[in-house]
Amino acid sequence: MLASDLSNLASNAKSVIQAGADELHLDVMDGHFVPNITWGAPVIKCLRKSVGEDPYFDCHMMVSKPSEWVKDVAEAGGSRYCFHLEAALKDSGVDFNVAELCKLIRSCGMEVGVALKPGTDVSAVREFVSLVDMVLIMTVEPGFGGQKFMPNMMPKVVHLRDTYPNLNIQVDGGLSPSTIDVAAKAGANSIVAGSAVFKAADKEQVILGLRHTVERLGMGKAEGELTKRVKAKGAEVGVLMAGIMFVAGKYFV
Amino acid sequence: MKLLLASLLATTVSGFNPAFIPSHGPSGVATSSSTSTSLNAVYGKPRPVQIIPSVLPADFGKLGADCKKLEDAGCDRIQFDVMDGNFVPNLTFGPDTIKWCRGYTSLPFETQLMVSEKCTDAMLPQFTEVTKGPNGEPGVVIIHVEACTHLHRALSNIRAAGGSPSVALNPHTPAEMIENVLDLVDHVLVMTVNPGFGGQAYIPTMTEKIRKIRKWIVDRDLDVDIEVDGGIKATKETIGACAEAGANCFIAGSGLFAYDDMAQGVKELTQMALEGQGVSVKA
Repeated sequence: MLASDLSNLASNAKSVIQAGADELHLDVMDGHFVPNITWGAPVIKCLRKSVGEDPYFDCHMMVSKPSEWVKDVAEAGGSRYCFHLEAALKDSGVDFNVAELCKLIRSCGMEVGVALKPGTDVSAVREFVSLVDMVLIMTVEPGFGGQKFMPNMMPKVVHLRDTYPNLNIQVDGGLSPSTIDVAAKAGANSIVAGSAVFKAADKEQVILGLRHTVERLGMGKAEGELTKRVKAKGAEVGVLMAGIMFVAGKYFV
Repeated sequence: MKLLLASLLATTVSGFNPAFIPSHGPSGVATSSSTSTSLNAVYGKPRPVQIIPSVLPADFGKLGADCKKLEDAGCDRIQFDVMDGNFVPNLTFGPDTIKWCRGYTSLPFETQLMVSEKCTDAMLPQFTEVTKGPNGEPGVVIIHVEACTHLHRALSNIRAAGGSPSVALNPHTPAEMIENVLDLVDHVLVMTVNPGFGGQAYIPTMTEKIRKIRKWIVDRDLDVDIEVDGGIKATKETIGACAEAGANCFIAGSGLFAYDDMAQGVKELTQMALEGQGVSVKA
């Protein structure tokens, strides 16, 4: 949704789901953790109402107080709550810590994701991997415009894939047909694609192309084994998402 | 002349495009040159009544289309409630959402920044820009007095950037906090509920605050609207009381969306406000 109409979210969401997206990646920014404000639970609620119960909402919480919004996002229809480790560590005090945050998220019926900014070493997430369903390695600096895909984030992905073979590893920022190979080879199985999908004339083809690259280079599948259908529900890996980005024009070049 | 006056008043009641446009700011529903006729009337010459819906109760999945609906219902302006989850315990939307809505309606916009000082400082130019009209006309940008240490400077910056500056006060904030910046603004927003969520009840102790600010505006001969936001419905106790105390702009969120026919809602709200102002309305 990067360059698409933010005042017409519902129909854009529906079209990208039909084009084969496995999840909708929703970027929540509060102007504090990152220098932009995008949207919150009220918008997620309206979106859930219009697309129905099935679509998976991957909520990327770029907010300074991740513990604050868990219940709201769950009630609004979030499927996964992906908080930033940097914010959670700062947010936590005597009464609250990362482990408790993960527990809270699960108790509200959502899956747990944890995200790392480019400047955060991958070792910081080690003690929490067992508590989460997914780790997101940012491949751009969240909130800043004009950032290109950072290939130097790939060692983080490689390390995680080698250490935790069954972990869902997501990459977000600058992913497109021209940068996907590196990410897939490194072991990322969850790809957030924003303008690469929404600006494409044929969204289905772009999504399928990204999916095939992950299957071929990440999973080692042969040509004949690649997903044939556009919609690959139930596939174990190759979870593709079309990003709904509110930093219109700033994130992805 | 009499015919013209009657038609102006008829237009006033219906809430549609007025023949008279005030000299500053967005167009309003005209009360022409009528003066108060009742004892319980607003202090000074009544300013044009404006009914302004907030998008908070709208469908955020199709906000553009909802904005168009509000325009069709005869509203004067649309208010965007920007909340950053820090100044208020809710997170709504940011500048890009407002930017996209611009393409759906030519109505003037108003942006209320319920955001902390950090966001106010960093994002003011952006918000001023996206609030502008379809041809770059100034849009109303409302800063909260509680979220701005250098209010005088910030309001001046809005004006310099081509916006229409406004300042808002939370319920606990005394009117005196904005006394020294009244000359910089086009508009003051008196919150009549605690900001953050829709559907709350009007706080009656706010009526006196409105009255105080109105007196300053009239006595100092300033060209400033007073807006109220929170729990405003077509009742004597809410819109009626506020109008009588001196408010002329009324944010209606759930109070307007509750109507099946929003045009009817605009009519009823306008009618009640005019009565509060003590303006006699011919049928």
